Amino acid sequence: MKFKVTDSENISTVFLNGEIDMDIADDVREVIFPLIDSGKVVHLNLKDVQYMDSSGISVIVESSKRAKDKNTKVELKEVSQPVEKVLAMARKFL
Amino acid sequence: MNTEVADPTNLSEKKDFLVRSSSLKDVRSFSREVFEKFKIDEDLREELVLAIAEAAQNIVKHAYKDFPDTQDRMAVRITCTGKELEIAFFDKGKPVEESKVKHRAIDDVKPGGLGTFFIQEIMDSIKFKEGDKPWINNLVLTKKL
Repeated sequence: MKFKVTDSENISTVFLNGEIDMDIADDVREVIFPLIDSGKVVHLNLKDVQYMDSSGISVIVESSKRAKDKNTKVELKEVSQPVEKVLAMARKFL
Repeated sequence: MNTEVADPTNLSEKKDFLVRSSSLKDVRSFSREVFEKFKIDEDLREELVLAIAEAAQNIVKHAYKDFPDTQDRMAVRITCTGKELEIAFFDKGKPVEESKVKHRAIDDVKPGGLGTFFIQEIMDSIKFKEGDKPWINNLVLTKKL
């Protein structure tokens, strides 16, 4: 699966879309992790994500931890309503 | 998709899927189609789809952990009595040890166990049963409507 990535100075924005599940999670990691490892601040734009399950949340958590280890950060941008609902549920747990 | 109408007050749909991660989108499509047919409250539908997908994912990840290329199929049955929704899963994977199926402690920052937490948050009850042959595991989730 291909995701659009734009760069502006030290910020890379990854535009995720569709349904992020266990089957897609590794594709997402393959896009995000190299950006983090290169020291970029990563913005995840989630406005076009219609569905996200625990695998998608795991990618976000892993990305945040990886960014912290690399002294950079990951931020969520334009979170869609379905993803916001899942994040709200996940926040009770994480 | 098989429609079972043993009791005319009950609506029931069952479908089987190959046990692998690429089937999860098909499990979600089936669930959405059934919820529309059963006229389940729209606000509740996507939460139920998430619970179903997480349970199916657990079968792929745990019951078939050592068999990623299995040709086995798992079945999902959704039954609506009008007052309650019952969602049953059937698989032939490793027998589930119920004591090991729990979400992790809240102070552990790893995301593992989140899927089970979602199922517990969304559904009213979760029961593991031994499956009738040929099935090994039978997970039953219920939700009052």
